Amino acid sequence: MNFYQTWLPFFYLYGVGGIAFLLGTFLIYKTGALRVSYEIHKKWIWILFYGYFFYAFIHALFIYLAIGSS
Amino acid sequence: MENILGTNLDRIVILAYFAVVMGFGAYFGKYSKTTSDYFFGGRRFAWWLITISIVATGIGSHSFVKYSTKAYQYGFSSTMTYMNDWFFMPLFLFGWLPIIYYMKLGSIPEYFEKRFSREARYIATFMILMYMIGYIAIQFLTLATALYKIYGIPLMLTVVLIAIATTIYMHFGGQTSVIFTDLIQGFILIFAGLLLFTLGLNFLVENTPYASGLKALWDNLTPAEKLPLANFNSPPDFNFVGIFWQDGIAGSIGFLFLNQGLIMRFMAARSVNEGRKAAAFNVLVILPISAIVVSNAGWIGKAISNSVPGALPIDLAPNDVFVSVANLITSPGVFGFIIAALCAALMSTSDTLVNASSSVIINDIYRPLTKNKSSDEEQLRLARLASVVVKVIAVCLVPFFNSFESIYEAHGWFHSTFTPPLVVGVFLGIFWKRFTSTAVIATFILGAFLMILGQMYPSLISPFSHGIELRPGRGYSYIGALYNLFVCAGVGVIVTFFTKPNADKQLTGLTVFDIHKLKKIFKGSSINEATGKPVVVNFKVKDLGKDMVSFSKDDMKTINANKGDLVYIQDSRWWLGGLKSIHATFADPHDENGVVYMSEVQRDSGMFIDNLPLKAEKEM
Repeated sequence: MNFYQTWLPFFYLYGVGGIAFLLGTFLIYKTGALRVSYEIHKKWIWILFYGYFFYAFIHALFIYLAIGSS
Repeated sequence: MENILGTNLDRIVILAYFAVVMGFGAYFGKYSKTTSDYFFGGRRFAWWLITISIVATGIGSHSFVKYSTKAYQYGFSSTMTYMNDWFFMPLFLFGWLPIIYYMKLGSIPEYFEKRFSREARYIATFMILMYMIGYIAIQFLTLATALYKIYGIPLMLTVVLIAIATTIYMHFGGQTSVIFTDLIQGFILIFAGLLLFTLGLNFLVENTPYASGLKALWDNLTPAEKLPLANFNSPPDFNFVGIFWQDGIAGSIGFLFLNQGLIMRFMAARSVNEGRKAAAFNVLVILPISAIVVSNAGWIGKAISNSVPGALPIDLAPNDVFVSVANLITSPGVFGFIIAALCAALMSTSDTLVNASSSVIINDIYRPLTKNKSSDEEQLRLARLASVVVKVIAVCLVPFFNSFESIYEAHGWFHSTFTPPLVVGVFLGIFWKRFTSTAVIATFILGAFLMILGQMYPSLISPFSHGIELRPGRGYSYIGALYNLFVCAGVGVIVTFFTKPNADKQLTGLTVFDIHKLKKIFKGSSINEATGKPVVVNFKVKDLGKDMVSFSKDDMKTINANKGDLVYIQDSRWWLGGLKSIHATFADPHDENGVVYMSEVQRDSGMFIDNLPLKAEKEM
């Protein structure tokens, strides 16, 4: 298996997707839609970043295991 | 006619399932008294109820067939489209969701009128209706294709029968029926999918030397089939980068921001925060499970092909893998149950779309044309009639979609044709104040024209192809979405710079820059963010004026509320999920602790029962 099959899709997904995610987070922060002074919004910031890394972890794990099984 | 699959017991199970769901849905019709109830379920439900009902909406009957096929051909990468929806969650949860909820938008096209112009609304209405009705037709076609093989009834007659069955409970119940039938069907879908997976693993244990089904599955897939993401840019009909742009970007924005059915589900949540919880839980927990539910028949099929020669036909067509694997690994009756789950997927997806379509017809065509002069009862009657008309049109469209090579192709054509202009329109509308009314119309019309040019001359798409091979005579597939998004956004941006923007005042509450003002707009007065505690009370009937309720001074102190604040009152039995509840406004307090005064209308609307306690909490 080559790089095009294994890690390139991963980096593209979390790179381009990550830009969309970070821009979105920055925008809602700058416009005041997300306010860190609200306790409930603080929890949401954690959940948002948890979601991003949760999916990145699952995908990375399966790529790693698939490479290991070849 | 092709070979008929299944036994009489399977057929009885499927029929029994239809009967139970129709009865269940019709029962909840009594909760739809107004158009608000019919379309939005009265904005009263708890997040968990919304979440489970979304499951059934997200998994269409085409999902099982489509993803099992890809799973059989390519392995775990069939899950890609279920696991790439998180990137736009910040903008959805804190941008779009508060706008649609607090601005009380009845439909997506209504946003286009408020944000841009009436002309923009009409074009958006047309595109969204076309999209939804076509989608319903594809659902009908998929299920009819499967049932045709089981009952042997002619395909179009099967389509008509399915349409009638879903009409019966939808017609009377509206959104409340949709939510509750989707709730039960969501559980059935997940259970059936996981049951199939378990039976498949057992089959592998019984027919291979392995002691563990999971180990047998893992070892009987090639390393490439174990990868969770497809090859970057090949083959042309299933590659990562194309699917990323079509599904991960255009599809995700389309699903979260433009799916009228999904939007209406979030509008049925009792608060914005409950809507956020439902959306986040759905993407984080339910979608990964759904990915397994819809794909596993393909993985099991591939492992069986590799380890148990002769169990499945050597020339098995990938499109038939779901039904063939289900038939192989299940016993009579269980096979019927699995096909009933396919029915559940269809009924729950189509009922949501039919309800959404009739909402668009009433909110975006009928009300503007009649200047909202007809009574709510008349509108409700028309909404029910509209849902029937939508189904008739969908049935008529089935032969058109049946002419595509596969359901997958029909579905792909749909997404690439109708989503990009709307995606660009709504996205720039929310996040760019300068974006003008002329620009959004140009995006719809000129953007669509450039998209058609791209389909006719694939060389236009080549610069965006990321090295994907151009198939002679068939053009590019998924990566066309990147080109479509680019030309639509390009038209929107260029035209914006040459036209005059709307005044800031006209945009109040309609862009992400005003989110912090939305609660005040919704309430109509300054908001009270002080934290309080819920109270449990009994009710007494006393008319205090429209939407007003009265609590004791002590209870008001516990809730931390003032006169004029908004309150949410629900039956204290949590498992009802807000089915019996109302929204109201605090009136002047009284001195009787543990009692709330409310009008007869409010008691009836909430369906509150004498002597059963209620739970009340401040909204804002």
